[in-house]
Amino acid sequence: MISYLIRRILQLVPVLLVASIAIWAMLYAVPGGPVAMIVGQDASQEQIDAATRELGLDRPLVVQYGDWVANAVTGDLGKSIFSKEPVVKLIGQRLPATIQLAVFSLLIALVIGIPIAIISALNPGTWIDRVLSSWSALALAVPTFWLGILLVLLFAVELRWLPSASRYVPFWSAPLDAMRNTFLPALTLGVYVSGILARFLRASLVGELRADYVRTARSKGLPERQIVGGHIMRNALIPFVTIVGLMLANFLGGSVVTEVVFTYPGLGRLLVQAISTRDYPLIQGIILVIIVIFMLINLAVDMLYAYIDPRIEHS
Amino acid sequence: MKSTGTNNLSHAVKKPDTDAVLSVRDLTVSFFTNGKQVPVVRAIDLDVFANEVHCIVGESGSGKSVTSLAVTGLLPVTATVSGSIRLNGIEVNKADDETLRNMRGRDVGFIFQDPATTLNPVMRVGRQITEGQVVHGLLAASDAPGRAAELLTEVDIADPQGRVTQYPHQFSGGMRQRAVIAMAMSGRPNLIVADEPTTALDVTVQAQVLSVLLQRQQALGSAIILITHDLGVVAEVADRVSVMYGGSIVESGTVQDIFDHPCHPYTAALLRSVPRIDAGDDRLETIPGQPPTPAELPSGCVFHPRCALGANKARCQTERPQLRGFGSGQMTACHFAEEMQPDRPAPPARAATQTRRADMKPLLEVDDIKVHFPVKKGILQRTVGWVRAVDGVSLRVHPGETVSLVGESGCGKTTFARAIMGLLDVNAGDVRFDGHSIVGLGRRAMRPVRRQMQYVFQDPYSSLNPVLSAADIVAEPMRLHGLFEDMGGDKRIAELFEMVGLSPSMMGKYPHEFSGGQKQRLGIARTLGLKPRLLILDEPVAALDVSIQAQILNLLQDIQRELDLGYLFISHNLSVVRHISDRVAVMYLGKLVEQGACDEIYENAAHPYTLSLLSAAPISNPGMRNQRARIILRGEIPNPASPPSGCRFHPRCFRATDICRAQAPELATQAGLKTTSICHHAGPLDPNEIALASQPKAEQ
Repeated sequence: MISYLIRRILQLVPVLLVASIAIWAMLYAVPGGPVAMIVGQDASQEQIDAATRELGLDRPLVVQYGDWVANAVTGDLGKSIFSKEPVVKLIGQRLPATIQLAVFSLLIALVIGIPIAIISALNPGTWIDRVLSSWSALALAVPTFWLGILLVLLFAVELRWLPSASRYVPFWSAPLDAMRNTFLPALTLGVYVSGILARFLRASLVGELRADYVRTARSKGLPERQIVGGHIMRNALIPFVTIVGLMLANFLGGSVVTEVVFTYPGLGRLLVQAISTRDYPLIQGIILVIIVIFMLINLAVDMLYAYIDPRIEHS
Repeated sequence: MKSTGTNNLSHAVKKPDTDAVLSVRDLTVSFFTNGKQVPVVRAIDLDVFANEVHCIVGESGSGKSVTSLAVTGLLPVTATVSGSIRLNGIEVNKADDETLRNMRGRDVGFIFQDPATTLNPVMRVGRQITEGQVVHGLLAASDAPGRAAELLTEVDIADPQGRVTQYPHQFSGGMRQRAVIAMAMSGRPNLIVADEPTTALDVTVQAQVLSVLLQRQQALGSAIILITHDLGVVAEVADRVSVMYGGSIVESGTVQDIFDHPCHPYTAALLRSVPRIDAGDDRLETIPGQPPTPAELPSGCVFHPRCALGANKARCQTERPQLRGFGSGQMTACHFAEEMQPDRPAPPARAATQTRRADMKPLLEVDDIKVHFPVKKGILQRTVGWVRAVDGVSLRVHPGETVSLVGESGCGKTTFARAIMGLLDVNAGDVRFDGHSIVGLGRRAMRPVRRQMQYVFQDPYSSLNPVLSAADIVAEPMRLHGLFEDMGGDKRIAELFEMVGLSPSMMGKYPHEFSGGQKQRLGIARTLGLKPRLLILDEPVAALDVSIQAQILNLLQDIQRELDLGYLFISHNLSVVRHISDRVAVMYLGKLVEQGACDEIYENAAHPYTLSLLSAAPISNPGMRNQRARIILRGEIPNPASPPSGCRFHPRCFRATDICRAQAPELATQAGLKTTSICHHAGPLDPNEIALASQPKAEQ
């Protein structure tokens, strides 16, 4: 198991290497580049040269890349051009907000998605299955920004139960306030993803219900509840874990549209700001963090597989 | 641990107790499909008594499995069931769900076909064995692990304490099926329903599993309903037999009566269409056509379109025969049973085996080939060992000759065939086709050779592309080689269809419109398009019904005679191999342990493994049951990554001595023996040997 874990982590190194080259090269692939951003359109050649030297862009490419990686590894992703703050600090301020929103959203998606999937899988072809399947289709079809605006109009403007603009309140400092502030964006994201999860889990459950071991369980005279809970669920969870992991990674990568609609101070909105101000070090930093999050969640999913499915060999 | 033992599978036919455990009257089951009720089981009567094995025999679609599910109320809700089913005094058809649920855990045990899927892959075996008992309150949860180990001991599983906490994938196929038997027996049920319990298993494992099943049944005095299509298994274990066809029972009686004087033309024809392991026969009698599907049952007697006796008899086409008494104790559903020929005609003797001319050049020469796969381990995935899937095999196939490769699953048969085709890399040795070496040929150089060697796959259902028409499927290889027009285009396709017995009018149809047998004909037509000289047939009839299997075997023989093809025939079915082969090679753990002329292998085998295989294979003759003691191999094929020292067979061999453990035997034809084998102690089976073999050996 440990050897498997180490091997999996080592396998991440080349992925990270390729990703880092791509992120770093972005600086040169985009017209304009950071120098033009700093010195402005009417700058003289001297000003341009000075800025280029200041940013170290006159050195050989290999040295520049090596420097960048060496700094990134020690946790230095450079300074934001726009705010002059260290990139790591800026990301560090926003990441907890994004994690809190992601966890809430996922919980809502699971709470809605799993019961829908189970109920419709156990009653295939009935009216209740059709109603619940339509819910999934609807949840997927409604654009998140539109649902977000609708929810704001209803709960914030009309009913005045919840704030229209969501602040980030850490859950452990003020749980109730945190929930009030995160509920609407989390619901918006959760509803959408619940549609994906419900469809996926339903298909998985329907497949498992036809499996031979279910017939075996019935032949032993097990009650239906125990067949679903004890036998089918664990098997159906194996493919389901993948999709849940992907969704969580997606949330953590920043839910740009929803964060903008609710003016929520998360990673997504920071990325949008960074792009609109061409703040290259910040863009690079955020994308690098998102890639690392994706890889870690994938690793966690694979480890979880090993826990759920005894057939996976690790040695 | 003793490595071998003997067991007599049979037990005397007992006089049934007066009260039936299961009593079925006028049972009809239909499914609602495509807007109408389709009857799958039609008005059957069945009585099963304690202490008896009642076999239900039939081909696919005959309704045998549906019957077994109906008697315990396990059918899906889409099924409509009418008639009376009394099980242990409970009227199943009227009972509520809770009553049925209780009955299943206590009074009935189930064994299903495929042990690979019957058990839940993510639950520990011990828990699966006892959870039914725990739910029904017959066993305290705290006693469950101990009880599970006890039950595993009863089905001969070594280290039961350790096995209880393992998962199904850690069990071999035979062990899984024994665990399922333990599970089915856990509540000491008075009825066991076993649906094709050994179909997915090798013969040696089948013998182990059937032996365990019968031992447990005798210990508990249960009744068994055993559903099977394998007449050999019926002959070995049944007390009474019901033959099903088209949803009805067409004949029932004691096993001896059914085999000695069948009183329904279907039973008689079925018995004649099975190749026999105990006699070489030249050509199989077939039943024309194919079994009916429930949606399109013929009028009158369901068998009349395929029946020789009923041909041109108006009554058979209009009036459905009822099951009626015939002779002493037999039942038949045939209007004209009295007109049947009473004696089963002796199988036509095999024509003198055509001897190969000594000067004839072999088509395929394989010399000492090895196919090894690396085993990788650790963080750096270093190669730490090799799976020796094929480890030095030599073989010749001549034009017009059938050479069969037999052995248990995992012995390397298919790897060997794929390596010959160039689909796998060969690590050592040489393969020559028509005198030219084809090992390591590049893609381009291999193309013209591959034209002449074609592969027929086991599963006709998944080996045909479902979106291509039948004509396109057959044309595809010719098109890939750019030879379609040269070889005659559509005219050639029509010719091929006729050659394999398909009407050219079916050329525009798609695979799903063909039956299993027709699909396999299509698969054969596809390989013949390029005028090959060698066919590699990998279990070509294993997925087919008995009556269809005979048709395909005859077709293969006809084509071979017509085109002078060489066949490399891979199979685990020893009866089929005896029927079709000129020569037979027996493979064990990557090596050929014995080879020789077909009849010599079956009558004068000298290698203990061949002897064990032959002894484990069921014989379709219930009279032989008590006259034949069998060697039941213990254990399974060892892991080919670490084969045993010396002779690879020694841990399971009843003749093993010290030299076998120390030194690998050489291939040799020993004086006085008619086959070539690798064994230190080759020789025919001594009658005393079986008695010796059953004595326990010292632990090693």
